[in-house]
Amino acid sequence: MPRDTQPRAGGARIEQRDEAELVARSLAGDRSAFGTLVDRYAEQARRVARAVLRDPDDADDAAQDAFLSALVKLEQYDPRRPFGPWLMRIVANAATDRRRRRSVRSAEPLDPGVVGGGPRPDTAAERSALSERLRQALAELPERRRLAVVLFDVEGYSHAEIAAMLKIPEGTVRSEVFHARRKLRTLLEDWREPS
Amino acid sequence: MTEHPMPFDHEPDRELGAALRRALQPSAHEAFVARVVARAAAAPRGSWDVLAGWAGRGIAAALLVVAGAGFAAGRALKPAAAAPIEEALITGSADSGTAATAVVRGSRPPDASIVFASLRP
Repeated sequence: MPRDTQPRAGGARIEQRDEAELVARSLAGDRSAFGTLVDRYAEQARRVARAVLRDPDDADDAAQDAFLSALVKLEQYDPRRPFGPWLMRIVANAATDRRRRRSVRSAEPLDPGVVGGGPRPDTAAERSALSERLRQALAELPERRRLAVVLFDVEGYSHAEIAAMLKIPEGTVRSEVFHARRKLRTLLEDWREPS
Repeated sequence: MTEHPMPFDHEPDRELGAALRRALQPSAHEAFVARVVARAAAAPRGSWDVLAGWAGRGIAAALLVVAGAGFAAGRALKPAAAAPIEEALITGSADSGTAATAVVRGSRPPDASIVFASLRP
């Protein structure tokens, strides 16, 4: 699959009919098949990890740990089910574990103006600045809320799938997405309005 | 972004999703994939799989070799079949040592009539 074709881009599910075969080949020792799975899910895994870990390097390490853990657990994967949710559950766990291990590090203080929007840059770097503010706003959310909104709005997973990934009730997922959106939308609205 | 979102939308918010995607988008995709694949190839599990595969075939081959060697050794070490005791008693009448050895080493008692017949007055 081309690298720019993301598994859940635009909320659309990718064809997963060959994933069971890729898993079977990976289990048989075919590293290229495992490489295909990594290539297919790398960006999604890294984004989800980054939703938990602010530091991109930490997130990449967590995503890598998750892929290696998935390889070890590959025999436990049920090929009748989609591969993405199974993998993202491992990614979320790996990122959470890493975040807990690093919890001794003090969190960076958030700029008080971040969530409220702050000054609106009118340069070419506007989009980049918005991204940074979104990352910071995301970091302000509880971890489960961050994961829920990213898995739902960015990766296109259903509430039920996210509930299974995070081992929480589906209603809780809906609530978490709602509260996360409310905060993040405020930031977007403030950004969109002329200062 | 939805202008008046319901509290619990069932559909992803495309605008927010796109903005978050840009914010979280990683770089150096190929390098990351290559790193993970390289680590996977060097991971203990990969090595274990290979070794396990080899071990399975190796153990089977070793068992065959051991079984064959045991069979051959057993045949080589098996003592020559002893002459029947009765035959030894008859032919050994001139050689009491041979007859006595056959009786002692025999795995079954000799035929009593032949034993008595071999006795000389």
